[in-house]
Amino acid sequence: MSNEQLEPRAGARSVDSPCPAAGDKLPERPIHITRKMIIMGATSSRDWQPIHHDGEWARERAGLPDIIMNNYTQAGWLSQYLTSWSGPRARIARIKFSMRSPLCPGDYAVLRGEVASVIDAEAVLWVELSLAIQVGERVATTASAKIALPCGQQSSPWQLSGAAWRP
Amino acid sequence: MTSIPEKIQHWIGKPVISLASVMTVEQGLWLNYCVAVEDGNPLYWKPAGEVDGMAPIAPPAMLPSWMIDHEWSPDPEHQPLRTLELHFKLKDELGLPFGVVTAVELEFHEPVRAGDRLRAEQVLLDVSDEYQTRMGPGRRWSIAVHYYHQNEALAGVQTLHFVSYRKDGAP
Repeated sequence: MSNEQLEPRAGARSVDSPCPAAGDKLPERPIHITRKMIIMGATSSRDWQPIHHDGEWARERAGLPDIIMNNYTQAGWLSQYLTSWSGPRARIARIKFSMRSPLCPGDYAVLRGEVASVIDAEAVLWVELSLAIQVGERVATTASAKIALPCGQQSSPWQLSGAAWRP
Repeated sequence: MTSIPEKIQHWIGKPVISLASVMTVEQGLWLNYCVAVEDGNPLYWKPAGEVDGMAPIAPPAMLPSWMIDHEWSPDPEHQPLRTLELHFKLKDELGLPFGVVTAVELEFHEPVRAGDRLRAEQVLLDVSDEYQTRMGPGRRWSIAVHYYHQNEALAGVQTLHFVSYRKDGAP
């Protein structure tokens, strides 16, 4: 893969960035959750459950405060948050998350993350992170993730396969 | 406490539901998802051929979406598959009509690209004995969905953890 063609976005890590260390905090990412965002996330992930697009159904049939963000969209936000920090040459191995309370239209959410551990495997750095989506003091979603970061210009986690790829 | 029925015990550890491909992966479809979560990762956006040595990939978090059947079909006889058929079978067999996902785990292997057609297997990992949930009698269970490429390479595994229940007073 050509590094020139995969320039990291502003604020992202690059191959020249210092190795992450346990305890490093990721920059916070605020999200104003809108009705359009929830419905677009549900429909683009092909999730047609009415709790994700029909407010009346969500309130009256499911007892929810409003439509709620589906799990595929939450996975997408977590993924976006990770690679916005890591840069596009990183490869996500695993994401695990628990939805503790719903994300609804009008919520001002903040994505937060912290490096939990780093293992240098020569070809790549395996980085484990803890993540959360919070609305004010309320923790809506807790998550953990494992990603592989490149070690230097010639390294690419995308070249790992078989037993070398250990999600 | 009610133990696990024999029929359900036989399901544990086996692919109970196998799903054939329902659609072809397309970049135009996954870019709608990227827009929804404001993800500008160039690996997803570059047109085919512009990322040297690597065709664009679909956002990994979207993996399960490629196995969700179309809501409508030109064939009036077509019955869309339920998204997680094994979960619904368990609810029916165990008389627990309500269920919520408590945790989701996504493990990614061979990336998914435009033109791929995936298939999936749903494996029951575990089922608890019946116990009193906050909502009524219920059980916990876990299901792993294995997603495979057309060449049988593993694309990823989605593991879902559920609590299902019936409301107090229901039989």
